[in-house]
Amino acid sequence: MRPDLNFAVLRAALAMMAMVTVAGCQRANDNFGFPPDAKVLRLASNDDVPSLDPAAGYDTASWTFEQAIFDTLVRYGDADVELHPEVATAWESSPDGTVFTFHLRKDVRFSTGRPVTADDFKYGIERVIDPATLSKGMEYYQEIAGAADFAAHKKPHVDGIETPDPYTMIFRLSGPDPIFPHKLAMPFASAVPREVVEKWGEDFSRHVIGSGAFKLREWIGGQRIVLENNPNYWVKDQPHLDGIVQELGVNGELQWLKFESSEIDVLEAIPPSEFPYVMKTPALRALTLNKSTVTTEYLGMNCQMPPFDDVRVRQAFNYAINKEKLIAVINGRGVVARGVLPPNLPGYDPEVRGYDYDPVKARALLEQAHFPRDFKPLLWFRADQTGEMVVESIQQDLALVGVNVALKPVAWGPLLEAIRQPKNVQLFMSAWEADFPDPENFLSVLLSRQQFGSNNDAFYSNPEVEKLLDQAALISDMKKRYAIYDQAQLIIIADAPWVFLLHPVQYVMRKPWVHGYIMNPMRPTRFEPIWLSPRTSD
Amino acid sequence: MKARANAMEIIGATMVASLVFVAVLAPILAPHDPTRAVANSFGDPAGPSWAFPLGTDALGRDVLSRIIYGAQISLEVGIAAMAVTMTIGVTIGLGAGFFGGRVDFILMRFTDVMLTLPALLLAMALVSVLGPSIRSILIVIGIVSWTSIARVVRAEALSMSQRDFVVAARTLGAPPYRLIVRHVLPNVAPTIIVMAALGTSGTLLLDAALSFLGLGVPPPTPSWGRMIEEATIYFRVAPWLATFPGLAIFYAVLGFNLLGYGVLRRRAR
Repeated sequence: MRPDLNFAVLRAALAMMAMVTVAGCQRANDNFGFPPDAKVLRLASNDDVPSLDPAAGYDTASWTFEQAIFDTLVRYGDADVELHPEVATAWESSPDGTVFTFHLRKDVRFSTGRPVTADDFKYGIERVIDPATLSKGMEYYQEIAGAADFAAHKKPHVDGIETPDPYTMIFRLSGPDPIFPHKLAMPFASAVPREVVEKWGEDFSRHVIGSGAFKLREWIGGQRIVLENNPNYWVKDQPHLDGIVQELGVNGELQWLKFESSEIDVLEAIPPSEFPYVMKTPALRALTLNKSTVTTEYLGMNCQMPPFDDVRVRQAFNYAINKEKLIAVINGRGVVARGVLPPNLPGYDPEVRGYDYDPVKARALLEQAHFPRDFKPLLWFRADQTGEMVVESIQQDLALVGVNVALKPVAWGPLLEAIRQPKNVQLFMSAWEADFPDPENFLSVLLSRQQFGSNNDAFYSNPEVEKLLDQAALISDMKKRYAIYDQAQLIIIADAPWVFLLHPVQYVMRKPWVHGYIMNPMRPTRFEPIWLSPRTSD
Repeated sequence: MKARANAMEIIGATMVASLVFVAVLAPILAPHDPTRAVANSFGDPAGPSWAFPLGTDALGRDVLSRIIYGAQISLEVGIAAMAVTMTIGVTIGLGAGFFGGRVDFILMRFTDVMLTLPALLLAMALVSVLGPSIRSILIVIGIVSWTSIARVVRAEALSMSQRDFVVAARTLGAPPYRLIVRHVLPNVAPTIIVMAALGTSGTLLLDAALSFLGLGVPPPTPSWGRMIEEATIYFRVAPWLATFPGLAIFYAVLGFNLLGYGVLRRRAR
């Protein structure tokens, strides 16, 4: 039910406000400094982009632009999570999975015109390994032979990265790792021009130069970021766009209004209040695209803190929470989680059942565990409106089985800080999105003992699981590898360190004149294939 | 001559009484549990219907029941916070007015300093430090809103302490404590009662504002301010979610204001 009159009045008022704003600074006509007929994709986001430096950025917003400005050796397809050539034309690994050789294209140039060679990739990775850079990607490249010596300043270079000629790169690892090439598909491993980094130092993020399809034209903090196409780009028929403008500091509701009035071409997050209306209106629904993310959202339970050190309590919570309802609350934008691994991750086992909603069983288990009646666990969560609705739904469900949960909303930074302290937080909401498509990236990173104080915030440890994880990580035969990870996952599900909640489905809307907008399950959408037909007034 | 109660006073008293009635009988009056999901309107709030006269929210809860239970928490916080406010304000006001001189100077400069601090910001800061709970909200509202009461009580007490009956009692050797409690306080009481009625509407609003900012009584306890906060994202598609708790706040504040001004007017006549 949608009261149309109120809506029309409000819309008229907001449109007038928008007109005043636009008239005030004359932005609509000047096309952001591009010629009037230039093909410019217009976007908007709430937050500023944290960084454009590939060694620094480790979030969706940063990676969106980094993958447009920089090139890596290998990359994922536009729509898939398989490795494709980018600057490397071909690569091979030694039978034992410890040596990887990459052959590079010879026609790749930075936007300054200088040719890209193997040394630029080597420099990029060494920068990430160097502790002085404070890169969050450091841990992914520790396995390269000599990385530790380089990090400790005992060697001027990483011995395990060899460049016998400008267009060949050899990586030697200290142990086998069949999925190492995936780590080179992260923007951390981009080709970076040393002379530019050394010229700007810490300011490199504001003056990035790469070999990607676009280059940075303007970045006004909190206002907008503007990219233009790179005339030296080596892929002949790409990109199709002349430029990209992303307005910053535009909140979700305002993004919706801007999309409605065609001031932006793509809406990356549909406000929860508008979503049911969009899906009920065929014309709007036709503009949506969606993807199942390689993400698992969960309610972590600290296995070292009573009463959550009792597996029956943790299982009871899994039975008590109604995940179908949770998904309804977020407008159906999710898939019920049956275990740790999301459905579109290679190695996912569709047979895994997990826990169904069963409050009767939950009550029985809580009784068996002598769950203290007057105990009021504190649930920490990231303070935003969607997060609040989700935890209130969980609170409702748990109240039905006699558990009264108190809620503690906190900002993202402090939340991460708090849950990493041992025996500090009993219950917390969290989520993990895959960096590369392998069960290792979930199971070892989130549920092994060595990640205590880092990513294993449930402080879960089971020697049997540890053994399986160590064993699987070295196996190159993917079928065998996945079978062992599956075994580990089944034990983890039975131990229930988390309530496995859901795998989010992300929806975007794009105007009818936007073509080639392809969603990737694991990475931000790439700008290269996007093209625009003439805008129509709708 | 005793002035007759006026219409304003009667309407105000009736409104306040009706609020108390609803709050006390909430478990009987409310058709549903205010915290449970009773309708299948998850993620898509449903409009008013026969089964749910004020609709249901995005978590499937009945808005009418939440507003009825919200009266409980609003009155509880409003009146208890006013008691805290009064205790602080009357103590400081009486002390300053009765003793005068240096005591008066120190207490009133302190009051002036408190008056310069923006109440809402101070309240937000204090709640963040104490953590949101009913108790801390009562304390915080008390701390930020006693100043105007202290000033009014001081003025009254100052004039009282010069009156003949007080001077007489003092001459007869009555100790200050007895003078304040037996002679000054009873004569200041009518003013205090009016201030309390008027001030309650202020504490109701402050409580609603804190709840709106997410610093009020924590969920699942229904409170009007929080209901409005939760409704903000749905304002364009489901305006009733914010409208009804807004009207409830309006009604409560109007009731206490009418009562307060009614009494004030009768006394002024």
